[in-house]
Amino acid sequence: MSDQKRHGSLALDIQGLVVEFHTLDGVVHAVNGLDLSIEQGTTLGLVGETGAGKTTTALSVLRLLAQPAGRIRAGSIRLDGEDLLAKSEQEMGKIRGKQVSMIFQDPMTSLNPVMTVERQIAEVIAHHTRLPERQAVEQARQMLETVGIPGERGSEYPHQFSGGMKQRVVIAMALACSPQLLIADEPTTALDVTIQAQVLEMMKQLRQTYQMSMLMITHDLGIVAETCDRVAVIYAGRIVEYGTLEDIFEHTLHPYTRGLFDSLPNLEDRTARLKPIPGLMPDPANLPEGCAFCTRCAYATDQCAQHRPERFYRTQEHYAECHRCRQICFEKGGSAVWE
Amino acid sequence: MLKYILKRLISLLPVIIGATLIVYLILNMAQGDPARIILGENATPEAIAQLREEMGLNDPVLVRYGRYMLNLVHGDMGTSYRTNAPVSDEIFARLPYTLWLAAASIIICILLALPLGTIAAIKQNSFLDGLCMVLSLLGVSMPSFWLGLLLILLFSLTLGWLPPFGADEWKSVILPAFALAVSSMASVARTTRASMLEVIRQDYIRTARSKGISQGRVIRRHALRNAMIPTMTSIGIQVGFLLSGSVLVETVFSWPGIGRLMITSIQQRDIPTVLGCIIIFAIFFSIVNLIVDLLYGFIDPRMKSQYA
Repeated sequence: MSDQKRHGSLALDIQGLVVEFHTLDGVVHAVNGLDLSIEQGTTLGLVGETGAGKTTTALSVLRLLAQPAGRIRAGSIRLDGEDLLAKSEQEMGKIRGKQVSMIFQDPMTSLNPVMTVERQIAEVIAHHTRLPERQAVEQARQMLETVGIPGERGSEYPHQFSGGMKQRVVIAMALACSPQLLIADEPTTALDVTIQAQVLEMMKQLRQTYQMSMLMITHDLGIVAETCDRVAVIYAGRIVEYGTLEDIFEHTLHPYTRGLFDSLPNLEDRTARLKPIPGLMPDPANLPEGCAFCTRCAYATDQCAQHRPERFYRTQEHYAECHRCRQICFEKGGSAVWE
Repeated sequence: MLKYILKRLISLLPVIIGATLIVYLILNMAQGDPARIILGENATPEAIAQLREEMGLNDPVLVRYGRYMLNLVHGDMGTSYRTNAPVSDEIFARLPYTLWLAAASIIICILLALPLGTIAAIKQNSFLDGLCMVLSLLGVSMPSFWLGLLLILLFSLTLGWLPPFGADEWKSVILPAFALAVSSMASVARTTRASMLEVIRQDYIRTARSKGISQGRVIRRHALRNAMIPTMTSIGIQVGFLLSGSVLVETVFSWPGIGRLMITSIQQRDIPTVLGCIIIFAIFFSIVNLIVDLLYGFIDPRMKSQYA
C-alpha cells in the first residue's frame, strides 16, 4: 500500500509520537513513540491506567498541550492525510471543533460557569459557520434537543444542570459542527453508573448518525467492549498491545492487558479475588531502559529489564510489545496463555 | 434583590455608629479645648467657661456623643468651629470634587490594572510578566503624596502639560487621580494576575480552546469574566485605601475635596467637621462595597441565589 493511499483511508494516523513536559524537576516523558491509527468510521479504544499518556495523546492531536511545558518532540499526526503538526495556530483554529472535537473527562469543570449553555454551544457554531449569533443560538438549541435536553433550557447556566446533563451539553458542543473525528476522554468516568449507560448509548447512536470516527479514551474495559471496534492498550506512553476487539478480549497477548482484565470483578465467580496489577506505573521522568512494564510483570526476565521489546505480531493486525509473549505464544502453539 | 439591598443598607447603621463612636472618643482625648479654639488665645477664662457651658462641653462624653447622633439623624451634622457654617454645607460643597477624583482614579486603576494583570498572567514567567510585576511592586511601594510631587515636577513644572493644583479645569483631575490610582492599580493588577493564572488553568478554558476560537477571544470571553470575581473584591477594598489616600493627595494638589477639608479640620480641632467627613467616608466605602457585591451577581450567575 502506498503511503498516500494508506493516509487516505485513515481518519487519524499517529506515528512515532513523542511528547515531553519540561518542568522544573526535569523532563517528563509522557508519550514515547506512540503509533495509533483509526480507520474512517470506526471507533478505537485507547485503554490504560491513569498517567499512561492517554489524555496527553488526545491533547496532542488538538495541539492543546499545556503551554509552555508540553512539547511534541517527534512523530507525525495526520488527520485525513493532513499533517496537523505542520499547521499554524490559525489553521488549527479551523480544525479544532470543526474537524476534530473533544469531550473532556469532567463535565463539572469543563463548562464555563458564567456563560449560558446555549451560548457556549453557539460559540463553536458561530466560529466555524460565520452564522450570526441569533441563528447560532437557534442551532445550539436544536443540538440540545438532539442530546435529549429541552431547547429552552439552553438559557440556563451550567450549575443548574446535573452531572449527566452537563456531559450531554458537552457532547452537544462537541458535535455541533459535525466533526469527522470525535475524541472522547473518559466521557463517563465522572458520572453515575446508570447515567453512564445512557450517555454511552447516546454517543453510540450519535456516532452512527454523524458517521464519525471516534477515539474512545477509557480505563474501563466494559466501555471498550461496548463501543469499540479496535483497541490500543497504552502503557507509559507507548502502545503495548493493539488489535481488534476480539483479538484483545479473546487472544490477550500482553501481560499488562491480562492484568487489566484480572482487575475486573468477575460476576460468575464471586469468590474469586481481584488480582490487581502490583506496583505503580514507572515515573515518566525516569523510565526504565527496557520494557516499561517489567518492574510489575510476573514474567519478566533479565532481557525485559535491558532491552526494549520489539513488536510481536500474532496476526497481521494484532500485536504486542513484549519479549515473553513471543516465546509463550510459540510454546503454546499460537495462542499466548498467561496463568 | 430589593430586599437584599435594603438589608445591606440597614447593616450600614452599625458601621456608621461604630466608626463615629471610635472617632468621637479619640478626638475627645486628643482635642484642645474647642471653646478656647473658637474664642482665641486672648479670651478670658470666664468667656471660655461660659461658651463651654453653652456648647454642652461639660457633659460626659457619651452624653455628648448621643446628642450628636440624635442631631445627625435629623440631618444636622453640627456647626463648624472654624467657619460657624453648618458642617453639612461644607461637606456637600466639597463632596462632588472628592467623588470626581475617586471615580477618575478608580477608572484609571481598572483601565491599567486589568490589562497589566492579564498580560502578566498570559505571559507568565516571561520578561513582560516580570516587567508588569516590577511596575506594580513599584506602584505599591511609592507613597502617593511623593508620587504626586514627582508628577507635578514632571508634567506641570518641566513639561507644562497639566495644571499642578486646583480643580479649575477637567485636566486638573488627571495628576491627582493618577497619583491616587497607582498604588491601588498595583494591588489590583496583582490580584488580577493571580486569579487569571488560576482561571486559565481551568478545564473550561481548555474546552473553549478546543472549539477553535483564538487565544485572545478565549481570554476576553471566557477567562476575564471568571477572573473578575476576586478582582472585584480587591477593587472594592482599594476604594477604602483610595479614600484615605485622597486625604494626602488632595492636600498635595490643593484639591478642594473632603480629604483636604478633613486635614484642615483636624489641624484646627474642628471636631464636628472631622466627624462629618468620616461619616461620609464610611457611607461611601460601604456603598461601593454593596455595589461590588451586587456586581458579583451579574458576573457570576451562581451567586444570584444569595440575594434571597
